Amino acid sequence: MNNAQQTARVGLFFILGLALTWVTFETLSGGTLFKNKGYTLVAGFESLKELKEGDEVRMAGVKIGSVEKTRLAGRRAEAVLRIDADAKIASDATASIVMAGLIGTNYIGIDLGTAGAAPLADGAEIQTRVTPDINTIMTEIGNLGQKLEGALSAFGTTLNGDGKGGGLFQKLDKIVTDNSDRVSTTMTNLQEITTKLNKGEGTLGKLINDPALHDELIAAVAEIKSTASQAKGFITDAQGIIAQVKSGQGALGTLVYDETMANNLRVTVTNIRSVSDKLAKGEGTLGKLINDDTLYNTAQSTLKKADRALDGLGDSGPITAVGIVANSLF
Amino acid sequence: MPCSSHTRNPFTAIETPAVGVTVENLSKSFGDHVVLHDVSFSVEPGEIFVLMGPSGTGKSVLLKHIVGLEAPSSGRVLVNGHDALAKETREQVRMAMVFQSGALFNSLTVYDNLALYPREHRVSNEAGIREKVMHALQILSLEDTAQKFPSELSGGMKKRVAIARALVMEPQLMLYDEPTSELDPVMSATISEIIASLKDEYHVTTLVVSHDRDLALNIADRVGIMMDGRLIFLGTPAELREPKDAQVAGFLYPKIDLKHPRFKKLET
Amino acid sequence: MKQLNSILEGFGSTLQLLVRTFSYIGSLPRQRARFIEQCYLIGYTTLPIVAILSFFIGAVLALQAGYSMQNFGAKQFIGSLVGLSMARELGPVMVAILLAGRVGSAITAELASMKVYQEVDALETMNIPPARMLVLPRLAAVLVMVPVLAIIADLVGWFGGAIVAKYTSFISIEPEAYFSVLRRYMKFQDVMNGLIKAETFGFGVVLVCCNIGLNTRGGPREIGAAVTRAVVVSLILILVLDYFVTKILL
Ligand SMILES: Nc1ncnc2c1ncn2[C@@H]1O[C@H](COP(=O)(O)OP(=O)(O)OP(=O)(O)O)[C@@H](O)[C@H]1O
Ligand SMILES: [Mg+2]
Repeated sequence: MNNAQQTARVGLFFILGLALTWVTFETLSGGTLFKNKGYTLVAGFESLKELKEGDEVRMAGVKIGSVEKTRLAGRRAEAVLRIDADAKIASDATASIVMAGLIGTNYIGIDLGTAGAAPLADGAEIQTRVTPDINTIMTEIGNLGQKLEGALSAFGTTLNGDGKGGGLFQKLDKIVTDNSDRVSTTMTNLQEITTKLNKGEGTLGKLINDPALHDELIAAVAEIKSTASQAKGFITDAQGIIAQVKSGQGALGTLVYDETMANNLRVTVTNIRSVSDKLAKGEGTLGKLINDDTLYNTAQSTLKKADRALDGLGDSGPITAVGIVANSLF
Repeated sequence: MPCSSHTRNPFTAIETPAVGVTVENLSKSFGDHVVLHDVSFSVEPGEIFVLMGPSGTGKSVLLKHIVGLEAPSSGRVLVNGHDALAKETREQVRMAMVFQSGALFNSLTVYDNLALYPREHRVSNEAGIREKVMHALQILSLEDTAQKFPSELSGGMKKRVAIARALVMEPQLMLYDEPTSELDPVMSATISEIIASLKDEYHVTTLVVSHDRDLALNIADRVGIMMDGRLIFLGTPAELREPKDAQVAGFLYPKIDLKHPRFKKLET
Repeated sequence: MKQLNSILEGFGSTLQLLVRTFSYIGSLPRQRARFIEQCYLIGYTTLPIVAILSFFIGAVLALQAGYSMQNFGAKQFIGSLVGLSMARELGPVMVAILLAGRVGSAITAELASMKVYQEVDALETMNIPPARMLVLPRLAAVLVMVPVLAIIADLVGWFGGAIVAKYTSFISIEPEAYFSVLRRYMKFQDVMNGLIKAETFGFGVVLVCCNIGLNTRGGPREIGAAVTRAVVVSLILILVLDYFVTKILL
């Protein structure tokens, strides 16, 4: 081999080495040496957490730059972001540190801001927002669990009783059992009435001619209606009773013929009314459940907190986070 | 750097004066083995000094002391007044040595062997070097071997290349370790002529270690004979023709006695 | 005692050789041809073996890491493990060991035979210092070529690991994931440290091999002994230097 050939090979070899070193440098340090294109923004945070130089900057999930430098500036930490020249960031957009996984993969997420806002200029400072990091979330989830447990046991006591006064269901049960004879008689009667009405024997005018009874009936029914709608969803038994009474409305005219029947009906109506009155006044546990909103509020706020906490997990969400934990552990 | 400022054509007049060598009470031993015993002599500038002696008496070791490759156990060697061991001596005095074994650079071609010294010392440009080298090769009938490697040469050719390499250096002090030992009679005569003409034309101080009686008697200014590490004779070739010392006579003119061979005397 | 003495002697003569060689540094431009030739021998011709070895070292690293890490579910960190081990430790050490075996032994053999056959003596009488003509171009060449070899070893090792990580059934990590973890947990500083280590080792190996070669005495048998000693001393030197250089760089 002649000298020129040897020199050429050595030269090529050396250049190859330089090129590879350069490529490695570019890859490992996020290409900050020769790629000083684009513009910079400053993002100040209370803490940069796991963020390090070379991490990505994404807008709505699209990579638009990288973290060029991290530094302490007085009482806060600053990240200098190098943004691609063609990526325009609205002046009201906010940046936050986002975790892409539990293993410390972070990036700066920037939202889109409003459409008309002026774009940020080179060197400008971008607004930031604090997002909970994984530690905060874990603590929050712990607290949430405790609150939920407390709320549920209170709810359980309400429904099943604490052993002394009896719970809501026991009381409901009692109401229905106490009046069961009358209710069933009423039901039988109503059935007969319906049958008669079906046969065309109904005289609806009679009911209309008796305004007192009519008014009373209307008032009672209205009350039942509202009670029923309030209680709906909680006590299907009660709903069933009320629904049957309700369906009997058209056939009430026949009650006029039968004095006893009318009396019976009146008593029944009074009973029902007293029940619904009690419910409306908030007497009894069911009444309390319907009218007293403390319990409701407690449950509501617990759920809200859970909601907020879960929101904090950002793009990936807790499911992904937990999924990653699970994946990385098993 | 010696003489790099003036370029000289090969075998033209030399500007630098000839140098002398002085050996003062030189002793050398390797471990317990004493090779040189208190050797003293001097080589005058521009003189041809031939050193003779039986094999293994320390002639080569003596030459190595003169070029500074060995350090004396006691005594000293001066070259042109400077200690032979000092680094400056080699820079001030151009010395060339023809090693007994040739000591050619085996990884270089014959041409590159010869061109190494002028290239390293930037004696002239590549064309000038080429001229010098080819001239030296011609003198020793080696033109055809220029591109060969030492391993492709015969023993005598190697010796001639070694001599040519020394010539190219244009030395002030030339040391030959048995230059004619492997050569045919004609080539031996040629070498003798070269040594003599170098002295006549350029006043090169020459020290030849040789067993070649013709060479010693014909071209030497003075002859020294060493035996067992001691210098036992120092004189002119004329004195050597009729040696008074029996030991010297026995060494220079041994009789080949087939009736009473020497090796058989050892047995009795 | 005698052994300790010879170790100290070797150490001293090596340092002396280094100092002497450095004093001739100005002659390097003139020795361009020799320098290029040594670059060719040290760098270019060593490349294939470096590439093959580092590929398989990266591969086996990934394999072993995958096997032992699957129990912890930490497989996805293979990229960073292979990347860091290759760049910080195995790449430099492997390049240095190959240099000792392939280049160092050749240097010692060449210089020892030059010494034994009096070529070195001839150089000295020609007032051409062996340190300048024989040692300087080799040291300069190793300084220039070793980082190239080391970076190639690193990259080839990484790719070896990536391929194994993808195609091994119990690992099966995509190259994208492998390299993204590698990038995440590695700084250029890590590679740089490795290059500095390789440079130190390579330089030490060549220097030691030159010194042992130039101090050879005797005949052909001693040439063989010198080569053996040069390789052994080089290997010890690499590992001892490795500890100290790593400590300094940490
Ligand atoms: N480096 C060395 N180490 C130990 N002994 C040596 C060394 N060099 C030479 N000798 C010994 O010194 C003595 C003289 O050797 P030298 O080579 O000078 O002989 P010589 O006179 O040149 O013989 P010849 O005419 O055969 O060349 C020999 O006995 C040899 O064994
Ligand atoms: Mg001899």
